[in-house]
Amino acid sequence: MKRWLSVILSTYFILVSFTATAVTVEDSKGLFTLDYQPKRIVVLEFSFADALAAVDVSPVGIADDKEADRVLKEVRDVIGSWTSVGTRSQPSMEVIASLKPDLIIADISRHEAVYADLQKIAPTLILPSRRETYEDSLKAAAIIGKVIGKDQAMQARLQQHRKTMAQYAQQLPQKIEVQFGVARDDALFLHTKDSYAGGVIHALGLANAETGRDDTAYRQTGLEQLVAINPEYLIIGNYVTPSIIDKWRNEPLFSVLQAARQNHIYQVNPNTWSRCRGIMAAERMSQDLVDILVP
Amino acid sequence: MRLVSCFFILGFLTLLLIITNLLFGAVSVPLDTIVDAFLDHTNPNHFTIHEYRFPRIIIALLVGAMMALAGALVQGVIRNPLASPDILGVSHGAGLAAVIYMTFFPDAAIEWLPLVALLGSFLAAIVLWRLCGQHSTTVKLAITGVALAALYASCVDFLMLVKPLEINNALLWLTGSLWGRGWTQLSLLLPWLVLIPAALWLAKPLNLIHLGDEHATSLGTHTNAVRLAALAIAVGLTASCVAICGPIGFLGLVAPHLTRKLVGGRHQALLPATMLVGAILLLLADLVARTIDPPIELPAGIMTAIIGAPYFLWLLLRSK
Amino acid sequence: MLLISWLSLFTWSSITISPLDALQALYQFDQDSIAQHIVRDLRLPRVLVALLVGACLAAAGVIMQGLTLNPLASPSVLGVNAGAALGMALVSTITPWFGLLGTTVAAMIGGGLAWSLVMLLGSGWRTGNEQGRLVLAGVAISALCAALTKALVIIEEDQASAVITWLAGSLTDARWQTFDAFWPVAVVGLLGASLLSPSLNLLQLGDDNARNLGVSIGCVKLIGSFLVLLLVGASLGAVGSISFVGLLVPHMAKLLIGQDHRRFLPIAILLGASLVALADTLSRAIIFPMETPAGAILALIGAPFFIYLVRKKTL
Repeated sequence: MKRWLSVILSTYFILVSFTATAVTVEDSKGLFTLDYQPKRIVVLEFSFADALAAVDVSPVGIADDKEADRVLKEVRDVIGSWTSVGTRSQPSMEVIASLKPDLIIADISRHEAVYADLQKIAPTLILPSRRETYEDSLKAAAIIGKVIGKDQAMQARLQQHRKTMAQYAQQLPQKIEVQFGVARDDALFLHTKDSYAGGVIHALGLANAETGRDDTAYRQTGLEQLVAINPEYLIIGNYVTPSIIDKWRNEPLFSVLQAARQNHIYQVNPNTWSRCRGIMAAERMSQDLVDILVP
Repeated sequence: MRLVSCFFILGFLTLLLIITNLLFGAVSVPLDTIVDAFLDHTNPNHFTIHEYRFPRIIIALLVGAMMALAGALVQGVIRNPLASPDILGVSHGAGLAAVIYMTFFPDAAIEWLPLVALLGSFLAAIVLWRLCGQHSTTVKLAITGVALAALYASCVDFLMLVKPLEINNALLWLTGSLWGRGWTQLSLLLPWLVLIPAALWLAKPLNLIHLGDEHATSLGTHTNAVRLAALAIAVGLTASCVAICGPIGFLGLVAPHLTRKLVGGRHQALLPATMLVGAILLLLADLVARTIDPPIELPAGIMTAIIGAPYFLWLLLRSK
Repeated sequence: MLLISWLSLFTWSSITISPLDALQALYQFDQDSIAQHIVRDLRLPRVLVALLVGACLAAAGVIMQGLTLNPLASPSVLGVNAGAALGMALVSTITPWFGLLGTTVAAMIGGGLAWSLVMLLGSGWRTGNEQGRLVLAGVAISALCAALTKALVIIEEDQASAVITWLAGSLTDARWQTFDAFWPVAVVGLLGASLLSPSLNLLQLGDDNARNLGVSIGCVKLIGSFLVLLLVGASLGAVGSISFVGLLVPHMAKLLIGQDHRRFLPIAILLGASLVALADTLSRAIIFPMETPAGAILALIGAPFFIYLVRKKTL
């Protein structure tokens, strides 16, 4: 009798979970419906890999620019191995097709032109990733959670994320001005308050430096403008060393910067801060900030 | 006799490249399963072959042929082997229109891009026509085109610098790529094929133009009408190709030049042969672009430059 | 020219700089004033470099037009800019091989090669030749170099921004080091150009006449070409690709002062200097507080003028 009951109950639960996985969400191209729980997922941006890893799901393929190190280490630790499907800007459709995915997650900014082709390979969820803000990214993660049948787990993870961020925020001094930028050998690009990094900084209760015009998320900045912006803390991701910041260090004007005078210029991993984006990336960035700002 | 063997070899090369393009890529498909993969929906390689490689190969074939043909026409009219469709400013006009569309309407549907580019090319052609009028010399036409192209190019640079966010997408488009081009784009290209027979029909009058204006006129050719028709067809060919693939780097300059060495300057032979050479060049470029470091795809426009440039230079230096 | 330079010292800064600061920074420098620091350490070298670049490019344009007797001859039209860009892109992307060269030398070699090719193909040395031919050769070689440069930019994505910034021709990072490295070459080049100008006058009479008047044509052409490379290479190496100055300025000078090279060369040099300084000032104004590279602005001004020139000159 007991055995029968358990069989009936488990069938019932299987049935329920089956109907429950027929989800409909709204993505950047309209309504998206999936009536099964995807097992083989290909993601075409790092932030989507991050969202999957946040609920312990491993994608079979990532558009990782053929450099596995560009995927955040925390994410790599969770998802194990994957197949590279090429660059994020022009992923190889052949490799994607050969992986026989049952869900593709694409970026509206980069992959809109091949949306129709991707749809022919597998149902394609298309969401913003590049140029997304911090809040956009969390929203995208919530949608992904629904589609992969892990809504509850994702909601829980998001709540935990908010809590984690609040904890970090408590450890951090409030209202100080933090400005992040990536440096190349001849150019500095500041990520303003409209950028992803700016959003994370804001979420931690820190202030973004006032950069004037606010219609751009990433802004190439010369020394003169940097002096005008004059942030209290300058967080730099160097794509190359020595970068332009190292060149500027030798100039008398650089010492006018309050960040330079008080030794408040710090280095972080530019990949984590500018390319990755996502729940785990934001937590990594917050940890970086705590390491830097809490003595 | 030499001509026949030339055509035979070119045709054979084209066929060979088509098959190689079908076989290789990030995933290799065995030769004996290709037909099956093409026809059978359940075949594991059906998507790769039928939806992806096949239309892409046809587009490469057509675009290569059409760009080369446009180049041959322009060189025929300007009577200078260094001329190319670029000097009409058409592809730069298309580039400017596309960049304007991408930077000012980042949320607009990308499907409209070919149409916008097409519009840009024709606007550019009209501007050139308005500036030059009917009676200007071909050299003046060419240089005005160059100047206009420079203007469009500087506007593109300016826009890309002012709106740096879109720089990657725009740069990718401006280099010319066959990535992600499929049946939809192919169907957009097909109507323009009518220009090919029209161009071939001009072969004889173009030969006469080469003899010099007086000769041509005395032989009963309306030189101005022929020139105009040839340039208009070149504009149409370039515009349609650019709209689909973006400006493919100097295919129209190299292919006719190369062909002239093979089959000589007679347009009856030159025009069809240059179409084959153009197709071969672009197929080869795309093959290399897809297979050099899979799964990374490079824009085919880059490969045409890398493959074509050294050979072009060598030809130029030798012919001096 | 002085006025523009002075304006350029204080206008459109993210930090308020008064006109007075600009002058005080020069005469009574105040250590504690940020504004005066900016003027002295950033603006002043920047203006000086802009002036010199303008002067050099204008002189190069004058020499090129004088040598080829072609009103459209100029570094950007005849492929020198594109060749220099390719050289520079090669050096900055494939550093292990060419790292020793440095970008300036690479730009000079690239520009030199491109120009020789163009002259060879377009039969630029033969006077009385079809002028369109030379321009077409320039365009073809430019297209070639540009395609290869673009290829390098996309393949070596990480170095791409360096090349793109260079191609745009910005004076943002012109500092005293830039100026120090630049001015000796520029001065030599400019002096050479003024010494050459009488011979250029004679060349305008045609090769035969010039030879009869005792000008060694080959020698003049060789020295002229060398000077052009020196001037253009040094400018491009200092600030990146700046186009159309060499085309535009000689014509403006000719309009003002007439055909005599001895007189219009200095005017062209002054005009070129003012033009680039003005463009640099504008470059800070257009999307203030961000900067638009001066090269892009000059191209926007220069390209329509190019069209006008083509239409006006009977070719």
